[in-house]
Amino acid sequence: MSLPVLPRGISTLRELGLGPSNLSGRPRDHIDWPLFVVAAIIAVLGVVNMYSATSVYFGTTRAGLAEIYINQVYWLAIGGAVGAGVSAIDYRHIERYAYLIYVAGVFSLALVFVLARDVRGASRWINIGSFSFQPSEFMKPCLIVALAKYLHDDPRSEPRTARELIVPVILTAIPGLLIAKQPDLGTALMMGLIFVSIMAITRIDRKTLVGALATVGIGGPLLWTFALPYQKARVTTFLNPAADIKGMGYHAYHARVAIGNGRALGNGYMNGMQNQYRFLPDQYTDFPFPVFAEEWGFVGAMVLLALYGFLVLWALRIASQARDRFGAVVSVGCGALIFWHAFINVGMVSGMLPVVGMPLPLFSYGGSSVLTITLCIALLMNVSMRRYSGFSALSRL
Amino acid sequence: MSLLVPRPDVGEFRLRFRWLALIVVVLFLAVVGRMVHLQLMMGDEYAAIARENVVRKVTLATTRGIVRDRKGEVVAASRASYDMFVEPKRITALDDKGNPRMGDVWRRLVELASLGDEERQRYEQKILAIRGRGGARAEQQIVLMEDISRDIVAALMTHARELPGIHVVPVSVRYYPRGGVGAHMLGYMREVDADMLAELRKQGYAEGDRVGASGLERAWESYLRGTRGWEKVLVDARGARRPTREDILEDPKRVEPIPGRDLRLTVDARIQDAMVKAMQSELAGGAALIDVRTGRILGLVSKPTFDPNQLSGGFGKQTVREAFRKLFNDPLKPALDKTLSGAYPPGSTVKPFTALAALEKGLIDQRMSTVCRGFLSFGKRIFRCTQSHGPTSFHKAIAQSCNVYFYRLVSDYGLTMDMIAEVAMRFGLGQKTGLGINAESSGRVPTRAWMTRRNKGQFRIGFTVNAAIGQGATTATVMQLALAYAALANGGTLYQPQIVRSVETADGAVVQDLAPRVRRRVTLDSTYRQLIADALWGGVNEEGGTSSRARLAGLDAAGKTGTSQVSHRPTNSEELDNIWYFNRDHAWFTGYSPSKSPEVAICVLIEHGGSGGKHAAPVAFEILQAYHRIVEQDRQAEEKALGGRASP
Repeated sequence: MSLPVLPRGISTLRELGLGPSNLSGRPRDHIDWPLFVVAAIIAVLGVVNMYSATSVYFGTTRAGLAEIYINQVYWLAIGGAVGAGVSAIDYRHIERYAYLIYVAGVFSLALVFVLARDVRGASRWINIGSFSFQPSEFMKPCLIVALAKYLHDDPRSEPRTARELIVPVILTAIPGLLIAKQPDLGTALMMGLIFVSIMAITRIDRKTLVGALATVGIGGPLLWTFALPYQKARVTTFLNPAADIKGMGYHAYHARVAIGNGRALGNGYMNGMQNQYRFLPDQYTDFPFPVFAEEWGFVGAMVLLALYGFLVLWALRIASQARDRFGAVVSVGCGALIFWHAFINVGMVSGMLPVVGMPLPLFSYGGSSVLTITLCIALLMNVSMRRYSGFSALSRL
Repeated sequence: MSLLVPRPDVGEFRLRFRWLALIVVVLFLAVVGRMVHLQLMMGDEYAAIARENVVRKVTLATTRGIVRDRKGEVVAASRASYDMFVEPKRITALDDKGNPRMGDVWRRLVELASLGDEERQRYEQKILAIRGRGGARAEQQIVLMEDISRDIVAALMTHARELPGIHVVPVSVRYYPRGGVGAHMLGYMREVDADMLAELRKQGYAEGDRVGASGLERAWESYLRGTRGWEKVLVDARGARRPTREDILEDPKRVEPIPGRDLRLTVDARIQDAMVKAMQSELAGGAALIDVRTGRILGLVSKPTFDPNQLSGGFGKQTVREAFRKLFNDPLKPALDKTLSGAYPPGSTVKPFTALAALEKGLIDQRMSTVCRGFLSFGKRIFRCTQSHGPTSFHKAIAQSCNVYFYRLVSDYGLTMDMIAEVAMRFGLGQKTGLGINAESSGRVPTRAWMTRRNKGQFRIGFTVNAAIGQGATTATVMQLALAYAALANGGTLYQPQIVRSVETADGAVVQDLAPRVRRRVTLDSTYRQLIADALWGGVNEEGGTSSRARLAGLDAAGKTGTSQVSHRPTNSEELDNIWYFNRDHAWFTGYSPSKSPEVAICVLIEHGGSGGKHAAPVAFEILQAYHRIVEQDRQAEEKALGGRASP
């Protein structure tokens, strides 16, 4: 019996996760500690940052907001518990019910139009008692699972043509359009980005690729004419931020000032001036990064970006080591979800991208967002933990 | 064996993970690049913007200087007044039909401020009208009550938490404890309007500031107003103060306001009171009491007066408007400063100067005499005398004020208008005295050239006849005559009148001590001066002297009465109804006391008072007596203080 051929750059079996301890077949012996630890660090930093961000509300009429970091801890605890549960179940079971999960997600999205309550002109929430949740958030992992299931069931080695992409496109388009109709362009865009990211690991027929790019090139400007005024305003404000500092550009402008004001070493914890003097609206939802960057400076911002970067690259590593196609696609999808959220949020608050309502993973306040991210981490953990267990997928390759 | 089975990504997914990782790294590097740009390269600029966002310069109010009289009594100061502002939108509510009604806060306010029904309804109407119209004004703070009483202020401040939308704001208003006494001299304050602001903004004035409008308040504005200070404070995006990061403030953090300079006047409040009391039965006029040795004004009174407190805004805008309306509709012209701004025919008070002109030119000497039959016909006109004086000497002509004697100086002795004008002007008539407060009239001393020009090339000798007794075109102000007589009294020094003794800091240190200023030394032959002085003494003290009936026992004074004719053209119905009053003669008395070594000169004008001897002289004597009494009091008090210090 010869030794297996080691992948490039890996010299020992242990590094490959094939050391003696890894030879045991029990998934709980293969807990992905780097994944868990990095995610936990981000979550802790997020809560710590939220405490500072909302401390400005102490002693005001909105003093309740100063307490929300506690809620965030609860959400993280719930997310951790749910995540533990999700990662304990072999993801093959998830694969089996993938389309069912997808349909449930789409159904809850449709429910929004029946039961919705308005928040700032958009209906995105469903109330169940005193508890309200955002189906569009949960739709993201549902879509990932559905696309994974489709690609898992449809292995190919030759490039995919347009005809063979119809099913995944429809799978993405249904929730995408429903969400766009709410209207929540940011989340709809996220659906598209998840689709594109997942399809990036497949081989696409060259003609199809050119055709898709052409469609985007022509369809983009066409979409612009259908955009709502506030959506247009965000883009024009982005292109010319100085024109409207008091109005639409207010968020973007002051977020940028806060980040810049952090300079190399930051103002110090609880001392961010733009935040303390309340120039950062939504500092605990969509704009926590400027608070962090102002207080911890360039050094802190680099640490946080490195943590997100690690998480995303680690997800790709998990994908590359997944035992089957479903695991690989789910990992890529979850990695893409975390990546795009982090990239777009930071890009938006630093003035690289237009203002889109996009939460920063584990930093932004909100149960739906926290649960979605913890769910993704749990899926990654699930795939990572079972990379060695029986290759049931073998038969399907 | 399972370990040897190729990974599932072999085939389709294979190398693509690396591409994805590359894209992720590149995009993250773009973000890193953005951070380098924002935080490392532009950091200082953004830090400056962040600092600018929170640092505000707030002005620190200064206090206007206090004005005190000669003895230190406060005659103008500042006090805090409290205005109540309300936000109509916050204290009203809409009923079911969308009509505004007063809210609960208002009921609480009515209770605390114990508003009467009528008052309450008026305010409610005002508030509901504003709320009904809606718009930005309904959300702004509007003034509801001005200068509310201390009790109400205390009640409202104690219960401030129950009164959202209601604000009590302190403002500084000028306060004149003596009310109308000396109001023309002190002046009043007014709020700067847009036109004035265009001019004054570069001197640091702002909307809502008050500025001296007349009198000393205006003339000494730059000394009194003080300089505003400022302080840097930290405010958040909502404008609330948050001092948490005071470490970012750069020096200087605060510039203290400089309070305005205090003024010490030459005027004595007690003398002012005595002057007001002496004139209390008269309707209109003016009086000035001047120290002949320095030209310093001891008392200055103009009647009728006004209350500068009402004009200066302390009691609210409504009061100001009403006070102004009253001020300008009164036919007795209370707005006019009758000691400085009003010029009147001086009548016989100029006779000493006419006589002096005749003596100096050598036209007559003291032995010249004539017989007065009560009139003198000259050309086609008859010039009247007050009575038939019979044989009249130089002394008697002045003491008993014989017009005929002066007519004859012109008709028979060759006294010309220019000779009279030269002497009158030498003593300061026809020129502004230079006191510097209020719009001063220069009066008028007619010359031949001027009269000719005014009468289209015709000059009649009758003009000179009139000028000799201070009638016709001649006019003078109370201040001018007082100073001219002061110059007669002190042997020929014509002073520039002085009202501010010194400029002091808020803690009483003298910044500037203002010395008396001599306008000029008047050529005055001591023999002639003595002749005139004797005659002026006679006018008061001799049998038949024009003011001898008003003489007060124990008062040593000399002076000249004047009764100047007026021909009044009524300008409105009120004046027409009271034409008997407006056609009455102006009554004058001007003189000095004591007659030997004089200390003070006085000039009293009673507008339309009738005869100088009957109406002006008693007032003047009462004032002079009060002056001597006050001087004596002060002397005794000083002696007592000195004695008290020496005895134990």
